[in-house]
Amino acid sequence: MQLVVFVIASLMVLVGAVGVVLRRHPVHAALSLVLTLFGVAVHFVAQEAHFLAAVQVIVYAGAIVVLFLFVIMLLGVDSADDLRIERLPIQRPLAAVMGVGIVGLLIAAVVATRGSEPLQAGAGINVAGVGIDDAVAGHDANITQLAGNLFADYVFAFELTSVLLIVAVAGTVVLTRREKPPSEEDAP
Amino acid sequence: MTGVLAIDPLLFGELKWMPLVIVALKVLVIFVVGLVGTMFMVWFERKVIAGMQNRIGPNKAGPFGILQTLADGVKLFFKEDLLPDRADRFVFRLAPFLAFVPAFLVWAVLPLGGDYRDGNRGLVEWFGHATRVQLADPPVGILLVLALSSIAVYGIMLAGWSSGSKYPLLGAVRATAQMVSYEAALGLSLAAVLLTSGSLSTVGIVGTQDSLSNWNVVATGVVPFVIFVIAATAELNRPPFDLVEAEQELVGGFNTEYSSLRFALFFLAEFMNTITMSGVIVTLFLGGPQPLAIGDWTADIPLVGNGLEGTIWFLLKLLLFLYIYVWFRATLPRLRYDQLMDLGWKVLIPISLGWFLLLAALRLGRDEDWNVWLVAGVSVAGLLVAAVVMFGAMKVSGRNRQQGAVY
Amino acid sequence: MIGLVAQVGDWPTPVVDWHALAPELVLIAGINLVLATDLLLEEGRKWATATLTGFVLLGAFVPVVTLAVIGGDVRALFDGRYVIDDFALILKALFLLTGYVVVLMSQTELEEGGYYQGEFYVLLLCSVLGMVMMTSSRDLVSVFIALELLSIPAYMLAAWRKRDRKSNEAGVKFYLLGVFASAVLLYGMSLLYGATGSTRFDEIAASLASGDLIGLQIVGITFVIAGFAFKVSAVPFHTWAPDTYEGAPTPVTAFLSVASKAAGFVALVLVIFTAFPTADGVYGPLVWVLAALTMTVGNVIALRQTNIVRMLAYSSVSQGGFILMPLAFVNSGDAAEPALKAVVVYLLVYGFTNLGAFAVVIAVARKTRSGAITSFGGLISYAPGLTVLMTLFLASLAGIPPLGGWIAKFNAFKAVLDAGSGSGYALAVVGAVNTAIAAAYYLRVMREMWMNDPPDGDRAPIVTPAPVATALGITAAGTVVLGIVPGLVLRFADLQDLTGALGG
Repeated sequence: MQLVVFVIASLMVLVGAVGVVLRRHPVHAALSLVLTLFGVAVHFVAQEAHFLAAVQVIVYAGAIVVLFLFVIMLLGVDSADDLRIERLPIQRPLAAVMGVGIVGLLIAAVVATRGSEPLQAGAGINVAGVGIDDAVAGHDANITQLAGNLFADYVFAFELTSVLLIVAVAGTVVLTRREKPPSEEDAP
Repeated sequence: MTGVLAIDPLLFGELKWMPLVIVALKVLVIFVVGLVGTMFMVWFERKVIAGMQNRIGPNKAGPFGILQTLADGVKLFFKEDLLPDRADRFVFRLAPFLAFVPAFLVWAVLPLGGDYRDGNRGLVEWFGHATRVQLADPPVGILLVLALSSIAVYGIMLAGWSSGSKYPLLGAVRATAQMVSYEAALGLSLAAVLLTSGSLSTVGIVGTQDSLSNWNVVATGVVPFVIFVIAATAELNRPPFDLVEAEQELVGGFNTEYSSLRFALFFLAEFMNTITMSGVIVTLFLGGPQPLAIGDWTADIPLVGNGLEGTIWFLLKLLLFLYIYVWFRATLPRLRYDQLMDLGWKVLIPISLGWFLLLAALRLGRDEDWNVWLVAGVSVAGLLVAAVVMFGAMKVSGRNRQQGAVY
Repeated sequence: MIGLVAQVGDWPTPVVDWHALAPELVLIAGINLVLATDLLLEEGRKWATATLTGFVLLGAFVPVVTLAVIGGDVRALFDGRYVIDDFALILKALFLLTGYVVVLMSQTELEEGGYYQGEFYVLLLCSVLGMVMMTSSRDLVSVFIALELLSIPAYMLAAWRKRDRKSNEAGVKFYLLGVFASAVLLYGMSLLYGATGSTRFDEIAASLASGDLIGLQIVGITFVIAGFAFKVSAVPFHTWAPDTYEGAPTPVTAFLSVASKAAGFVALVLVIFTAFPTADGVYGPLVWVLAALTMTVGNVIALRQTNIVRMLAYSSVSQGGFILMPLAFVNSGDAAEPALKAVVVYLLVYGFTNLGAFAVVIAVARKTRSGAITSFGGLISYAPGLTVLMTLFLASLAGIPPLGGWIAKFNAFKAVLDAGSGSGYALAVVGAVNTAIAAAYYLRVMREMWMNDPPDGDRAPIVTPAPVATALGITAAGTVVLGIVPGLVLRFADLQDLTGALGG
């Protein structure tokens, strides 16, 4: 059962990821991205992380990709830019070599890791004496555990992400505001 | 995997045949009742509106015209299925299902009945098995509802875009902007409910609303309820927020190019969504299947067992909301687009955020044994300062604009 | 089990040491204050936000001083995820001061150019907040948030001159490569977390030291180092730097080349000293190559630049190589202690000196309206003060005693030589050759200023605005004082504090 879920979800993720890269049409690429995000959500559910799964769908599929599509629709990017023109001819083969190299590196790393001792499960994510077993047993435990992580262990970093949101808002306003007519030529 | 479903006693322990059959039965019942309910809703809406406008409404097909929807459905079914030339074929075919499926899936997590009295947390006996009148109770039930409602945007957006013509595209752009904007207010007023209930599971939320004073509509102080209903109406694209398919401006909106069965799917999804959203509101704010109870007194429907009574209460409350939605449609004129956005961003979101913060402050004060009035006073003062800054900023930026600053 | 809504036991309310967090809290309050004030100000009075921002930065400086004076011991918060020690304090001070100097430099630039002011200072404060947070972060999550908090505002600041295509290019290039670097870094972090089971640096260090490194850990370490290498614009990850530096408004360039780069180095120091100290087999050669390449390539390209800002950009790339140098030998011989001291001193000296050089460029460019090196011709004849200061800063960058740059370079070489290994001597030789090359292009600017005639024959004196003059004063004082009495800051770079704080 676990294996079946894993294989199906992984297929969703991989097919979606490949689709994002290969589909020529931006809308189709964005839809492939949705597939990937759903696959990841399924993985989360299989790992008992329901809250993450729901938030994954709400935030990524429900908000971020919707905004992508919104922009694509508004800008009317109906045909993909012609990617065949190359300014630097060496770039494409170089990118391919780098890509293959990184994939090879990661696979080698994973294969090399296979023999080694497995880690203690969740050594770092325990909330004050609550083991994984206890945590999974309760109905809402996953959420409680997450709350412990966010509001006790990582509270400062978590609160500071709110500043990051202010930055995003202020920056967006600045970037989208129409410019005043030029009053004076620019300093170098 | 057991952890996912463990909370329903039916599914706990070893997998046996009987529970599987019961679950399959639940799926079937929800599906059929959903479809029939939608057909009923269409008839109900036409009939009630007709009544409000001093007309008769559908009266030919079946008694009181109740089979009218069925007749319309059959007619639609036999119409020609058009695929516009400039359409994006795959997406054009996909879109109706993306609109339709989420509307159905929400039913899986709503408690449609069950016995919540005497500390009995919604369990009933079926074929000798204790279970819930609900397909599933995931620990994040209500977030699932939010997730599905955010997926529903895709159906409309992609339908409009893939049609390859301008009216549907305009309709879709409007719809997306509207739904994304109002989802914020929806989520913030939902947060107030979650704060009061202390649970994300629908059973948990219903469980805490055991008397009228504990119904979340009262417990959260009415404001989140009002905002939720307004935002939900906007999410549904129902009047007075139906700019998506404003006939005078956009022909038929996002589904202009659709016909036959695909159109029927959109049509069904729209009415289905109305019922689903009413179900969500009932669950969140009006105690779901909980009977009306004031103090120690509980309204009891005679001759009906406690197990079935929950379902009746749920349906009664649901009907109330369906009526309210029809009433909205018959009464309120459509908003202009800028008014719609102003209402969402400048009124609903600040109010729901402020109210949520107030509730959170009161909750903190209660947990820490602080003086309630002091906490309330300080938080209201803080919110007022924030409001003053906001209005001041709006005024200053308006003045700057008049003086020629370009924004 | 049935119908159970389990209440997992209460998690402990985190204990918050408000005094230790005071600098960050002052900054956060300041961000909100500046933002709200900007909203309520009429168009003509936006300059007030600059003044306010200056006061906020100075206000945040107060708790840093009190912590240094009263604190004494190391304060660890949130299970050692956030630590305030001497290392953190001296760098917090550096970042706050840098932020203040940048505010001084940008005031006139923004007003005269008619750019948005309130938002500029809000974003600047956010970026400084990220840097201040970086110095104290001791786990992967905090480091990542801090890094994003300092970079994202910087992307927008780089594109602040919206009417200028070059500035737009600067912003976009910086943004794309920066985001790519963040992705690489985040991937490395997630691999590390997966392969060590913790995000805390001390636990990662313990896990890495407990046995042989496994493949995923090696990849994780490599990616993390590579991600930070982007932020410090080390070759071959430097390609964004010159274009961004040239296109961005000059005060922002100063900010990027000093504060943003220093924050990247702080992150590198933290991960290398506290998270991977025993994994020197992985990062040692990596950092060695990065350091050698960065110095050499940066210098060679800087030689050929004709634009002063581009020249300073490449010079700052090559200076980054010198800062990287000691980091390659953290775990070999007795190099750890001198390496930490070398990096901290180098960051401080480089900060003051480079800021000063940019302040002079701003002052001169107000008159000449040009970025070419030749526009500095004959500066001595009409702006002797600026010429002397520029000479001072350039000499310090070149490493001429007794200025700060000399002490910084001396410490870096000493740390490398202390490692006592062949590769250490080799890197020292590379560094020495590069020091000589660097002197060439710094001297070229000096010759232009002292010996040549003004290109257009215009000898009208330059009026330096008061804020820029103040900035020049602060940076010049820093450059000279650090050169003469470096012991002033050396006590803050205590290795025992940095690595011992988490152990107990």
